[in-house]
Amino acid sequence: MSAQMKDKDAYQRLNFLYQAAHCVLSQNPENVELARFYCSTQKTIARRLVLRQDPSVKRTLCRKCCSLLVPGVTASCRQRRRSRNARFTVVRCLSCEHSKTLLNHPDHQLWTERPEAQQERPKQPDPGSSVKKTPREKKCDASASRKATPDQSAGAT
Amino acid sequence: MEDSLIRVGIPRDLVKVLGVEGDSKAGAFTRAFLNSHMRQDSRLDPRTLLTHKAVILDFCRPKKDKSKRKSKRAKGLNARQKRAMKVFHLKPEHQRYELFLPLHELWRQYVIDLCNGLTPTCSPQFVQQKLLKADFHGAILTVVRSKCPSYVGATGILVQEFKHIFKIITKEDKLKVIPKRNSVFAVEINGFVSHIYGSKFEHRASERSAKKFKARGTIDL
Repeated sequence: MSAQMKDKDAYQRLNFLYQAAHCVLSQNPENVELARFYCSTQKTIARRLVLRQDPSVKRTLCRKCCSLLVPGVTASCRQRRRSRNARFTVVRCLSCEHSKTLLNHPDHQLWTERPEAQQERPKQPDPGSSVKKTPREKKCDASASRKATPDQSAGAT
Repeated sequence: MEDSLIRVGIPRDLVKVLGVEGDSKAGAFTRAFLNSHMRQDSRLDPRTLLTHKAVILDFCRPKKDKSKRKSKRAKGLNARQKRAMKVFHLKPEHQRYELFLPLHELWRQYVIDLCNGLTPTCSPQFVQQKLLKADFHGAILTVVRSKCPSYVGATGILVQEFKHIFKIITKEDKLKVIPKRNSVFAVEINGFVSHIYGSKFEHRASERSAKKFKARGTIDL
């Protein structure tokens, strides 16, 4: 219990830095440098304290230059096809030209969404009810919850 | 070119007639969007096309080596590339005080949330413990004491924190760089004033949450 309380401050700090980057970028869309500074600070803290961040958060940060990826402002978002039945979302950072490719598949599940990842509460496995992850950007005012417990569809049978 | 047509500003005498605001939030976003998306390919630039270049006569292109797959994972930039890109350099036109007021509001909520309520019954030691590991980006700092007398009295919103310096933005829209060594800062939250001794704070912003503070020596100012 004490270990969980010890990390609470760090998680709050990560959350604040993430929101601060969004806040700065919404005030002035060309102030990429400051948002990048906050995000790189966030990344360094998470690395020093070995904290796991949710994939939805990590998908909005550029891996190369640590800038915040907001589609249309600092990143371009495109749908590409590699093969006949696989489509990808390609998010490209406009400042360093690095792109990340995310698979669009309705049945694709990340590890954090799997029922066996939730150790806190024992869940009955319900196959076929997977939440489709869309890498859509949340607005600045929606505070991103930093805990690794994404909201599952609880009403599924 | 079409670019020049797009970026032409509306003449002064037409602004009042058309009722267009000159400096709105949507306008700023549109400008940023156009700037980032209208980048031309450097190969199609007419000036570079017209320069005299040696043509390499080669009967076929060398085959791409497929054995060497580039790893998908992005490597971070090294220090030289960061310096060339000016990763954390703030442009002077972005240094306006009123742009950072929302950041300060966000910071206040964060600190009050961190100290879970921050009622007057909170023990000062508990709050100080929390503030040691907290983030100070967006706080309003005041230099209370310093070895250099010209720093005393500088007030502003902290924008960036580095290992040895604080960068603050004052109300006169000036970016001030204040070294941490040999100066004392005051942070005010809801009537609770906390002093930060800069000589003890000489860590990076990210390392402060991981490192332990050692009580060593005294501060003589």
